[in-house]
Amino acid sequence: MRRIAPVVMAGTLLLAAGCDGSGGATSSSAAFDPATCQGGTLAVLNQGGISHLDPARLYTSGGGNIPSLLFRTLTTRNRQPGEAGAKPAPDLATDLGTPSDGARTWTYKLRDGIFFEDGTPITSADIKYGIERSFAPELPGGAPYLRDWLQDAADYQGPYKQPEGIKAIETPDDKTIVFKLRKPEGDFPYLATATQFAPVPKAKDKGVGYEAHPISSGPYMVESYQPKKSLALVRNPHWSGKIDSLRYACPDRIEVTSGLDAAVINQRLVSGAGPDADAVTTDAVVGPEQLAQLGNGGPLDKQVARGEFPATYYLAFNTKKAPFDNEKVREAISYAVNRTSVVNALGGSTVAGPSTTFLPPQKTLGHQPYDYFPAGDNGDPAKAKQALADAGVTNLTIELAHENDDSQGLGPKVAAAVQEALKQAGITVKLTAIDAATYRDVTGKPATQPGLSLQYWGADWPSGGPFLIPIFDGRQIIKAGGNFNLAQYDDPAVNAEIDAINALTDQSQAQARWGALDAKIGKLALTVPLAYEKDVYLFGKNVKNAVPDGWRGTYDLARISVK
Amino acid sequence: MIGYLVRRLGGAVLVLFGLSLLLYGLFYLAPSDPAILTCGKGCTPDRLAEVRHAMGVDEPAATQYAHFVRGLVGGRDYPAGPATRHCPAPCLGYSFETDQPVTRLLLDRLPVSASLALGAEVLALTAGIGAGVLSGLHRYRWLDRIVNGLVLAGYAVPVFLVGLLLLLLFCVQLQWLPFPSYVPLTTDPLAWAQNLLLPWVALAVIQTAAYARLTRAGIQETLAEEHIRTARAYGLPERRIIWRRALRGALLPLVTLTAIDLAAVMTSAVLTETMFGLPGVGQLLVGAVNQIDLPVVVGVTLLAGLLIVAANTVADLLYRAVDPRVELR
Repeated sequence: MRRIAPVVMAGTLLLAAGCDGSGGATSSSAAFDPATCQGGTLAVLNQGGISHLDPARLYTSGGGNIPSLLFRTLTTRNRQPGEAGAKPAPDLATDLGTPSDGARTWTYKLRDGIFFEDGTPITSADIKYGIERSFAPELPGGAPYLRDWLQDAADYQGPYKQPEGIKAIETPDDKTIVFKLRKPEGDFPYLATATQFAPVPKAKDKGVGYEAHPISSGPYMVESYQPKKSLALVRNPHWSGKIDSLRYACPDRIEVTSGLDAAVINQRLVSGAGPDADAVTTDAVVGPEQLAQLGNGGPLDKQVARGEFPATYYLAFNTKKAPFDNEKVREAISYAVNRTSVVNALGGSTVAGPSTTFLPPQKTLGHQPYDYFPAGDNGDPAKAKQALADAGVTNLTIELAHENDDSQGLGPKVAAAVQEALKQAGITVKLTAIDAATYRDVTGKPATQPGLSLQYWGADWPSGGPFLIPIFDGRQIIKAGGNFNLAQYDDPAVNAEIDAINALTDQSQAQARWGALDAKIGKLALTVPLAYEKDVYLFGKNVKNAVPDGWRGTYDLARISVK
Repeated sequence: MIGYLVRRLGGAVLVLFGLSLLLYGLFYLAPSDPAILTCGKGCTPDRLAEVRHAMGVDEPAATQYAHFVRGLVGGRDYPAGPATRHCPAPCLGYSFETDQPVTRLLLDRLPVSASLALGAEVLALTAGIGAGVLSGLHRYRWLDRIVNGLVLAGYAVPVFLVGLLLLLLFCVQLQWLPFPSYVPLTTDPLAWAQNLLLPWVALAVIQTAAYARLTRAGIQETLAEEHIRTARAYGLPERRIIWRRALRGALLPLVTLTAIDLAAVMTSAVLTETMFGLPGVGQLLVGAVNQIDLPVVVGVTLLAGLLIVAANTVADLLYRAVDPRVELR
């Protein structure tokens, strides 16, 4: 899951002429030809450092941006713009996998002509080993799904302690890999885009030290890597565009610099001096001073990519705590919220849009519009007061937990917007700031979970499953911590419907069912959806084909050119 | 002198020992769990327990501290998959976030921060002493007011704003300088200075004010002393009186302040390092705090403590060198 990067630095506010851009310009892809795009050096200017370069430790959506340059996986995102881009495509495998036993078994065949950077052929055993490493407690951080999905793998401790491996992954020959799941999972081809499905040669595994120079299977390999400082990539001589048509691999060299300030990154992309003309960023969302320059037909409109990563900002109720155990109280709060002020607090309509559904508006997630507690643009205090009266509640005072900084969109600004709106409905909101580093810990443990908290949820892949299951599946309630079902909602009928949809391998059928399920749960006001995410990224003036893909909402480094 | 140094060294060890104990008490007994962030989203309690064990944070705080002290003296081994990773003495711990020994991280970042701090101090001292002398010699006159006003204005403006304005002016509008990126002194001295010029100026703007105010006050105070009146009565040239006598006395308090500032800036120039993208110790500390990377936080804090203690000792020695009346005990 990726969360919105810091939008505003305090200093930049002083320089900003305004804070809400408008306009619908999209990125330029003029004069781009993947056949002749090779050459040059692409600079990547980033705020956050790459803390891990080990495929076992990366938590990515669709294989990530920079990691996807190094690691090919069984499947990958298909890297198209718009809705078409929200689908998986075969990568190391020849297809999206063959389900059997009601989607409990998935079989993949590997392509011919796939090699590691040292020229060694990639085999199914390398992929199995890569997955097994991600179970090692020495290599934490990756997506947790396989631990839950694979048969009898929950207690596996990784190949260092248990070299016998995971029995639920079979490799009958060098070209075949079979996954045995404990329940039907129609989304398996989406999960197989994660970096845990990248091959790792056992002979080269140095455990924690592997990330100093992970063995590449993608178009680039590591020349030098300093965690959180810099990464230099050069071409992998054993990768071929004929075998991997999804990655164009245009630049000859890619240089990533980390630890930069967001305002400075965006200023450098705008001014485009020297090598900055060939620069992009993967984590610095456009700042207010640039937003003010967008949409007026100026030169900057040709240097902007607008996408949408599927994500929702919402209020989460703990229905085990009064007064949120009262559905009418939850409805009152749903009526009272002012989504316009929330969107403004997030940075304006260019970077967020109002949402009344838990599923964000992407069709691939199965979004079905609904608005059971219409609050209009600015909230409906009268309806809220009526709901409170129906609940028999007067002089309601509640606490709202939020992060102590605004960088993730869950901070004091959005909390204050909610507080002000609820005040109009006669509800007094006391704000409780929690350190951002421990926020998930506090809110994810039922024993410490507040009654009401600001939350954000982004999709690990563009399907309704990873959006709805952790939030509303009653079997996902984890008492000891790491819980995302904050409503602590457990309805056997909903759980059964989740299982039924999971068994579907036809994504169009699954989408419709996920949308219907969201619409059904929405009636219970277990959450108050506030806004969905929009992403606006700048790029240097020499950069071509910086088109956001439909999966992640940002441009794809594997398809960008600087020639 | 040797006895003094031995006593200071012993005191420094005690201070650092106390500091490390305090840090462990604060960080390791606080309700924060570094394993949670390391384990990632969707980490189950069982998995979290495994990760805690692998990181060694499931042991009692006292045991962890004992490991830490042993590592300082004799180094430590950490589990790393198929083999162990050795952290040589003095081992300050192992970074959870970057999987590197804290000592190596600090040694890697220190040259950046030292480059920033040294250059900024030189600029700030030059500008601060110059402004202070001008003010002190023209006190309560228009020049004094202008210089004072400028210096205070510089002090009042936040460093991130100064930094942004400098970047906009010199890198965007005039394009006289590239956007800063750290180049080691040993690689290219010219590029080193060119890339650090703006960060030096941004940081020096703040420091200058303190030095100018101190110098101005010192000049005023010294000029009022009897030996200055005597010198004037003997007919010594005014320039000689100012530069040889007044300035020497006025600069004494600066010695201590500069030494401590230098040490402090080397570990705490967070905003300047972030604004200019310099991978220094301050930036390391901010990242470590955000990621609850406690070994790094402890390491940076101990380094700061060490530098402050060392700076104080150096300041005392310099004080003694500048003013023979001072006796070191």
